[in-house]
Amino acid sequence: MTQEISIQNNTFTMHPSGGMLWHEKRMLLIADVHLGKVSHFRKHGSAVPLRAVAANFDQLTRVADYYQAQSICFLGDLFHSSLNTEWKLFEKWVRSRDETLILIAGNHDIISPVKYENLDIDIYSEFQSNGFLLTHHPEEREGFFNFCGHIHPGIRLGGIGRQVLKLSCFFKTENQLILPAFGTFTGNYYLEPQPGNQVFAITKNEVIPIQ
Amino acid sequence: MTHKQLHKLATSWFKDQGWKPFAFQEETWNAFLEGKNGLLNAPTGSGKTYALWVAFVLDYIKNNPDYKTKHKPGLKAIWITPLRALSIEIAQAAQRFADGLETQLTVGIRTGDTPQAERAKQKKKMPDLLVTTPESLQLLLTSKGYDKVFKNTSAIVIDEWHELLGSKRGVQVELGLSRLKTIAPQLRTWGVSATIGNLNQAREVLLGPESEAFKNSALIKANLGKTYKVESIIPETMEKFPWRGHMGLHLLEEVVPIINNSKTTLLFTNTRAQCELWFQKLMHKHPEFAGEMAMHHGSINKETRLWVEEAIRNESLKAVICTSSLDLGVDFAPVESIIQIGGPKGVARFLQRAGRSGHQPGKESVIYFLPTHAIELIEASALGKAAINQVVEDRIPYLLSFDVLIQYLTTLAVSDGFYPSEIYQEVKQTFCFQAMSDEQWRWILNFITKGSQSLQAYDEYKKIEIEEDGKFKVNSRSVAMRHRLQIGTIVGDAALQVKYLKGGYIGTVEEWFISKLKPGDVFTFAGRNLELYRIKGMQVLVKKAKTKKQARVVSWMGGRLTLSAQMSELLREELYSANLPFEQQTRELQALKDIFARQRVESIVPTDDQFLIETFKSREGYHHIFYPFEGRFVHEALGSLLAYRISLLSPITFSIAFNDYGFEILSDQQIDMQQVLDNDLFTSAYLFEDLQKSLNSTEMARRKFRDIAVISGMVFTGFPGKIIKNKHLQSNSQLLFEVFRDYEPENLLFQQAYRETFEHQLEEGRLRIALERIEQQEIVVKNCKKATPFSFPIITDRLREKLSSEKLEDRIKNMLKYLDKY
Repeated sequence: MTQEISIQNNTFTMHPSGGMLWHEKRMLLIADVHLGKVSHFRKHGSAVPLRAVAANFDQLTRVADYYQAQSICFLGDLFHSSLNTEWKLFEKWVRSRDETLILIAGNHDIISPVKYENLDIDIYSEFQSNGFLLTHHPEEREGFFNFCGHIHPGIRLGGIGRQVLKLSCFFKTENQLILPAFGTFTGNYYLEPQPGNQVFAITKNEVIPIQ
Repeated sequence: MTHKQLHKLATSWFKDQGWKPFAFQEETWNAFLEGKNGLLNAPTGSGKTYALWVAFVLDYIKNNPDYKTKHKPGLKAIWITPLRALSIEIAQAAQRFADGLETQLTVGIRTGDTPQAERAKQKKKMPDLLVTTPESLQLLLTSKGYDKVFKNTSAIVIDEWHELLGSKRGVQVELGLSRLKTIAPQLRTWGVSATIGNLNQAREVLLGPESEAFKNSALIKANLGKTYKVESIIPETMEKFPWRGHMGLHLLEEVVPIINNSKTTLLFTNTRAQCELWFQKLMHKHPEFAGEMAMHHGSINKETRLWVEEAIRNESLKAVICTSSLDLGVDFAPVESIIQIGGPKGVARFLQRAGRSGHQPGKESVIYFLPTHAIELIEASALGKAAINQVVEDRIPYLLSFDVLIQYLTTLAVSDGFYPSEIYQEVKQTFCFQAMSDEQWRWILNFITKGSQSLQAYDEYKKIEIEEDGKFKVNSRSVAMRHRLQIGTIVGDAALQVKYLKGGYIGTVEEWFISKLKPGDVFTFAGRNLELYRIKGMQVLVKKAKTKKQARVVSWMGGRLTLSAQMSELLREELYSANLPFEQQTRELQALKDIFARQRVESIVPTDDQFLIETFKSREGYHHIFYPFEGRFVHEALGSLLAYRISLLSPITFSIAFNDYGFEILSDQQIDMQQVLDNDLFTSAYLFEDLQKSLNSTEMARRKFRDIAVISGMVFTGFPGKIIKNKHLQSNSQLLFEVFRDYEPENLLFQQAYRETFEHQLEEGRLRIALERIEQQEIVVKNCKKATPFSFPIITDRLREKLSSEKLEDRIKNMLKYLDKY
């Protein structure tokens, strides 16, 4: 169901939800949850199903319970918009967790850092450790392997009989791994893999290496 | 004044113009003066404007004997036209008669093109007759105190009702009329329709089923006694004929003598791209036509189109290449020759075009048919027979279009607000919502006020509020503004304006086309070679291209037509007749003899009791081709259905291709045809259930949902000048579709996407009839070594649907085996 990968002698496990566990640090990485997006749309008269809100939190709980990591690091775009009532649900969720929570701020994270600090969430613009660089936007830096989000990577698969499938995926290049968007109400940006890239597509229950 | 005196008044004006009223015109005057509602069945160019406008003016004179001296301003009549381009002509014709009788009646236009200042002026003082579009009418309902504006309106005419009937704009009209009936108690409602199969139903939809208005109504038919003849253009040698192709340019030289021998010729093409291409090639090969030839299609700017229409009227052009943009309304005297390039797909459309030719009533109209590929000659032959028998299609009205209802209710909430109990009565009386349940109505009300949820503490949904006295009202200015902008969003691919760098608007192209071009690339549009300079917002800035290098021709996505039920039946009969002795076949079929011979080498030309299936293997996989000859939409459904049923036998993945003649199931595995027959996979039993399952994995409902999401206001298309890129809107509606599927499948709008897919896209009714026919036929399976002439156009079609019974994970793994990266 999950997929293990070794990068620079560290071990990582990719989960079908889009989360990824960094074994050595016991850290769960999650990108682009976009909490608050559903409420944001609803506030502006677009009736996106309210149940999608609960689904996001259920999914977070499920993957966090599964790995029981020491910390959870959100790679940006945790909250989609300005403050709305979904923040209350987020507070409740945070209180229910024992992990240390870290946020690498992304372009959508416009909520005041004070609000996060009040919840004991540390905010960074980036995070470095053991030659790994954690950011929201993809970055290339000499001597680092980069984990990031922002892109919402997806892949189109074509087969004989002109079939086409579109799936979210983990997208790995030589010095970088882009995580899929974790949130339910988020789209994908379809990438064209180049030789040397590794792609892991996610379905409901599996992570499947493509290339 | 008595009716007789009134008649005389009108007839003498006609006489002054050198005309004589037609019988149907006088019949309409009478019915109107008697206080009747009704539907007038009259073709374009027949004088329908005078049939109804004269009737209204006479009625006005009757009620206002001192009409020459006294004039009380205010809206008295409304004329709705689906195309704003037509409004000017209608207004001019109306004004001419009003002035001729010295009535002091004024005529005004209000469409999307009307300047803001003019609209503001109208708000203060409405003209007596307002010529407008369905969208603009709906917009009038968003203004405060609209009921006073319409209070004294005594007539409303819906022009080109047949065009609106089969669309959601028709539903918009139905709802608007339901309101007007209440606020304008003296209102008489009239429709004008071209000939369609279900005229009586058209009248019922217009006036409301079992309504008082319907009971007191007339159906008047203009019998102009036209007869038609179809002349196919057949080349000397059939070698020139491709098996597939859709432009028809190989026969370009054949139209030149027709153009030369006629005063004016209209060349109808099926798509705008084809129109552009034909214009370009004709100009290139025959520069002598320069200045005497023009092009007319929906994406060309309005001034140019109006100029072309005027030029057709005064016969200053020799030839005009056009699309269906000239089908509607545009009134001009018949031209000498009509050429139809490629299959028109429907009899009604073809006859309407044919009606553009010929002069005196009673004289035969000739229309030339230019087939774009060999098999289309069969269509030509079938059309010839259709023209004689005058078979025409139905227009199917939409039912329970909740998206339009939500838009309409929001409209009412934006202006004066509404009380549900009052509006419910009106809505229930429309044809579209006659079967709406109380539960559905409650759901709609809940949707617009609470976003289809029960109350939750943290929900901030905001659109329509319920005031203390129970009035539904929009109080947020931004919601109101967004709603006004959204009305009239004609959902299509986003249109970008093409402009010269130095200024000067040329027309619109779709975003997907322009996104394939880089600055410096050259494309042909509106008959000109243009170089892309840059894209700025929603504008495409271009220069005149200097290079002579090959330019791309602009193409548009919309407008893929399917064969109508009537047309496909005619086509089948025509095809079967290829088995008759040679001398009994039509000229068109005789011309196809080499192709039939080639078809018979490995396969057959089916007869009416045979159903043909062909199979062969190629580099792409195993091809299985079926020939129901039922039209593109039915084949799409039938293909999915059959693929689904086959997939139940063993895990397999297909892709399905289809055109108007048949469909293909392509797979990496061979299908055992004996098993298909043994298991009775063509049965019409469990049709609905199987279709629903077979289409689960397709994109059809998703595509329908896009329009629904926009119309119901769930997706916002943007402010003018600051328009959200359509890609954004598209992915938004796709995202929405997915969250509905995962979290709220019971949502009525989500379900509507599926219902529309079945009723309008898949034509479930037709599908059932087709299956019942196939059940009666003998199935003939031919295993061929390569593609046959019949199969060729289908297997080269690139628009495909997919279906799979394999597990997603297995499919991916299977694909990986071939590592054919997309």
